[in-house]
Amino acid sequence: MKGYLGIDVGSVSTNLVFLNEGGIIREAIYLRTQGQPIATVQKGLKELADRLPSTVKVRGAGATGSGRHLTGVIVGADAVKNEITAHAVAASLLVPGVRTILEIGGQDSKIIILRNGVVADFAMNTVCAAGTGSFLDQQAARLNIPIESFGEIALQAESPVRIAGRCAVFAESDMIHKQQMGCGLPDILAGLCEALVRNYLNNTGKGKEILPPVVFQGGVAANVGMIKAFEKALGLPVQVPSYFDVMGAVGAALLAREAVARSGISRFKGFGVADTGFKAGSFECSGCANLCEVVEITEQENIIARWGDRCGKWSGAIGKEEKIS
Amino acid sequence: MRVGIPRALLYYYYYPMWKVFFEELGAEAVISSQSTKGILAQGLKHAVDEVCLPVKLSFGHVLDLAGKVDYIFLPRIVSVEHRKYICPKFLGLPDMIRRLEGLPPLLDVEVDMYRKNWDLYQAIKETGSFFTNSRLKIWMAYHRSVQALHRYCRLLQLGLMPAEALAVLENKVKNEPLPYPADLNVAVIGHPYNIYDPYISMDLIRRLRAMGANVFTAEHIPEKILKSNASRLPKKLFWTLGQRMIGAAFHYLERPDVSGVVHVAAFACGPDSMTGELIERHARARRVPYLNLTLDEHTGEAGVVTRLEAFLDMVRWKKAGAVGI
Repeated sequence: MKGYLGIDVGSVSTNLVFLNEGGIIREAIYLRTQGQPIATVQKGLKELADRLPSTVKVRGAGATGSGRHLTGVIVGADAVKNEITAHAVAASLLVPGVRTILEIGGQDSKIIILRNGVVADFAMNTVCAAGTGSFLDQQAARLNIPIESFGEIALQAESPVRIAGRCAVFAESDMIHKQQMGCGLPDILAGLCEALVRNYLNNTGKGKEILPPVVFQGGVAANVGMIKAFEKALGLPVQVPSYFDVMGAVGAALLAREAVARSGISRFKGFGVADTGFKAGSFECSGCANLCEVVEITEQENIIARWGDRCGKWSGAIGKEEKIS
Repeated sequence: MRVGIPRALLYYYYYPMWKVFFEELGAEAVISSQSTKGILAQGLKHAVDEVCLPVKLSFGHVLDLAGKVDYIFLPRIVSVEHRKYICPKFLGLPDMIRRLEGLPPLLDVEVDMYRKNWDLYQAIKETGSFFTNSRLKIWMAYHRSVQALHRYCRLLQLGLMPAEALAVLENKVKNEPLPYPADLNVAVIGHPYNIYDPYISMDLIRRLRAMGANVFTAEHIPEKILKSNASRLPKKLFWTLGQRMIGAAFHYLERPDVSGVVHVAAFACGPDSMTGELIERHARARRVPYLNLTLDEHTGEAGVVTRLEAFLDMVRWKKAGAVGI
């Protein structure tokens, strides 16, 4: 079997997918990043290699997500792309004709507007993370319910309570207040979903023209309470693709396919990367008052990449053509 | 005598003029260092909380000059053209700076051309009298400084960025068109002190160029065109800089060779929240790709890079007319 590998390293989850040459998803792996992107990517690769037949041939690899540059140098990616592009590419493959993509991940949320198959507009949340998955995670933990059953419980609500969704901190105190007034758990959870949706639409989705078909993806799309809240707020049906939680990785694999079609050969280093010793370290450069934090990635004692310096003194020193900042 | 000029705020418009004026009067013009983390940190520490990010940064630049110069040139700039004001924060700047300790005396003459342009000469006379009693000498210095400013503006209108134009004026480079391999043009609309300061803007212009986009700004357009475009609003804007931004945005939105518009707003800037919204509505009506970037002291570079990459992907797809998959 031949195909393409896509890796999406986000703040909360790391996803890997393997697409065959026809663009069909063969394997998908969803892991928690837990603050260790390198180890998680290696673990994911090992798991993927075990699941795929030994004759598999990786024709190209792509990386996306906030850890894309790190992943790119570790696995030798052919395409290192931002997550907005990756999500848009994946959604337009899996849901042809899609015109609105709602994406809520661990620490960011985005809205992508497509018209005639082309991205026409997008927005990402600003510094505030009030409308994202981390907040739901935290509240689920506080209420002592597993995040997996959050949505199911929210669906049992009869009259969702009104919770202020502007700010995660205030939403939490509002929620505690409602609990102490004696409101039922399902009503509070449903109210929380509605508050997040309101915040998302007013903040990230501000001024955007949301037309059907609407696709909802990202880890938070697992929450049926959120799906229902979106449908209620928009008055439109909301589709959740079956690979909603790994869409970034699907997009990365598709972009890798495109990149390899142009370049001819892949730079993928092979599944052996999972057993190679990588080290990431950082130091503060004292060359000027910027005091840049320079990150250095070493592969078996060889420095393979450096970034984080504003002037290019360190990143330029190893003569890599791929500089990120 | 050494006169310090903070590399902040209207430095990007008037520095060539100020420099020549002081030199003609026998003083030495000293500019503060390039913005760094250290300068911003000093500014954040000493500025009042309510002001916008660029004003906070200007505090850092003033402090950078302390101990290096005999005077700091910090005019109270109220208005630089007929019936238009500069932002009120500029008006209060000398008073806010004055309470800092350990600074050399400030040259804080008032520049107010709201009633008539010629009122500028009052400020010129006042500044000149710090250095000489000869009215003729002041007049000659003024005359030469205006010539220098015109040369600078002409260079900007040729498509140079302020730093490049200054390098030409100071004979550091030959005046040659700078070759940037670009496959598209984008307009960057923002206050000069935000977009031209490589530290605060996260090196926005260089990044866009490195990603293959040629960058146009308001300073590349003659004043007359800016004004006639800005006058298409039903009511005039109060602020000189806001009007320039609107005029430039409207101009570029109609230029077929400009594929997208990036609006750069500073956190806590009131006028930017207005101009951004106005420009976004016009961009949407004309179906021109638009990106709003908000700069603040916290934003990591990753956020800016992701948005710029996605924006250029969007612009290129739109040009190609289809998703490239």
